[in-house]
Amino acid sequence: MYGSPSLGRLLPLLALLVVGFVLPRYVAEYYLYLGNVLMMYAVLAIGLDILLGQAGQFAFAHTAFFGIGCYATALLNIRWGVPFVIGMPLGALLAGMVATLIALPATRLRDVYLGLATYAFAEGAQWVFNSWTAVTNGADGVRIQPSSVFGIVVRTDTQAFPVVAIITALVIAATMYMMTSRLGRDMAAVRESEHVAMASGIDVRRVKITAFALSGVYAGIAGGMFTLFQSFVNPEQFGFVTIVLVLSMIVVGGLGTLPGVLIGVVILGLLPEVLRTVMRSFQIYQELVYGLILILTMMFMPRGIWGFIRGHGQRKKK
Amino acid sequence: MSSFALYQGLANGIVTGCVYALIALSLVIIFKSTDVINFAGGEVVMVGAYLGMAALVYFELNYVLVFLFGAVGMFVIGALFDRIVLHKVLGRATPGQSILVAMVIATVGLGFAMKGTVRLFHYTEEVRRLTPAFRGPPIELGPVFLQRQDVAIVVIAVLLMLALFLFFQFTFIGKALRATSQNPKAAMLVGVPVQVMRLLIWGIACALAGVAGILIGGKLPMSVDMGGNVIILSFAAAVIGGFTNLPGAVFGGIMLGIIQNLVGITISSQAIAVAPFVVIMLVLTIRPQGLFGGQVRIKKV
Repeated sequence: MYGSPSLGRLLPLLALLVVGFVLPRYVAEYYLYLGNVLMMYAVLAIGLDILLGQAGQFAFAHTAFFGIGCYATALLNIRWGVPFVIGMPLGALLAGMVATLIALPATRLRDVYLGLATYAFAEGAQWVFNSWTAVTNGADGVRIQPSSVFGIVVRTDTQAFPVVAIITALVIAATMYMMTSRLGRDMAAVRESEHVAMASGIDVRRVKITAFALSGVYAGIAGGMFTLFQSFVNPEQFGFVTIVLVLSMIVVGGLGTLPGVLIGVVILGLLPEVLRTVMRSFQIYQELVYGLILILTMMFMPRGIWGFIRGHGQRKKK
Repeated sequence: MSSFALYQGLANGIVTGCVYALIALSLVIIFKSTDVINFAGGEVVMVGAYLGMAALVYFELNYVLVFLFGAVGMFVIGALFDRIVLHKVLGRATPGQSILVAMVIATVGLGFAMKGTVRLFHYTEEVRRLTPAFRGPPIELGPVFLQRQDVAIVVIAVLLMLALFLFFQFTFIGKALRATSQNPKAAMLVGVPVQVMRLLIWGIACALAGVAGILIGGKLPMSVDMGGNVIILSFAAAVIGGFTNLPGAVFGGIMLGIIQNLVGITISSQAIAVAPFVVIMLVLTIRPQGLFGGQVRIKKV
């Protein structure tokens, strides 16, 4: 894993870019919408994995930063006509700044206490989205206006797809670079043992705050992406269900591994769609099926699907 | 605000606070002895309430048996969850952080599975209330009026807490349970069957939360999603007690009930929803060990 990511590792990303530009010509709008949603979840999940899987911080506040990024991008566009290419980075920056502010007190906590504090923050943020009606229009939500990306106004999923694909590819490439960089190794050290990391001269507090900030920026980017292919945003979308979904994607796929996270995103993201076509009255069973998947994964594949696959591969080699 | 409203708010706060205290106790005894935060706590309360409703409406039992039915039902569910799921997760996990995440995800899964299961019964689609066990004109107590049902809630909750205290303090099994939560390895060495104790803890805790569900089922509208609101207040209550302190959790529960009611009267009903989160964040950032706890337990290398 050490050293810079090789060309071979970056190849899948080039493929993603090509797909991003070619697929919209041949595939129905609905599948492109699904693709957009999956890619947005990928960015969201990778961001949470930086904090949870890489730095080992048990934090739950991700949906708050997701919401901040989303509302900021959408409102900048609606109120002042700020185009997406400026609005989205601003939204991500704002999310990152709030995440840094949260990190200052939160880095004093660990484990379940950190989990509870950040969970409370996320719920509190959702309350703000709901109650600050002057800005967010409260529970009624905000109708998103089509934003322009380099002069092209994105109105449909087909138009959004290449943009979303480019952002996803960039985010994945940045993550691969980050994981092999000094910061990535520092975070792994903090995750394995804070005491050992501290003894090796790593500024543990700074690493944790950086991880929080990065994670917030990722969530903010995902929020910006959301505005590209959704026409409506309301506080419901940034609640406990979303954070649990993203958390499950990471854990079911494989905590702390990029391929694992992506596998989790695809499986849990597509599951409702697949089941809906198989079972007609799926809606009633949704929660039950979902709960059972979580329980069974933890029972039989505690390191997620990717960990399970890799574990088998290694055993065969021996 | 008139002093009358203040007293009435205090009284109502103590009533709901008693229920939060029971649920917080359930969270704390699970966390203390098994290091798991039960994110399915709200759903345990919800299932308990619906078990009570099933006993009352479908089996037409009398109220003593309703409580018994709910408690035993939740005991079995909790014990089975520990034996079948957590036992396996614990056995499989690699040391370190991943155990914590795995356990939390497992309880989240349990919460979803319970919600999904209850939703399968069409009877639960409509929002209902449990018929209160005690009806009649409200009791006048100095400046406040109390519903008979509210008095019953306080009495039952206090009796349960007392029973729990006596059980942990004086019975042989209670002492074994405490030994397990303080030091599982040492407990095992002196012959305490730690696995059985874990199972008992989960059973007792879920039974406690289930009874709390039946108590609150007469006050709050019952729905499949009712657990979410209740559990966040109970989390806050447990956090006030540092998540490991039983009397602290009881105090926290009653505090939270009072805070919730007074915020509703003095500030706005909108602010009620955010009060528990503010409490959690404030307590955790200022005194993470809770208002009662001593030193924070710091794991050495």
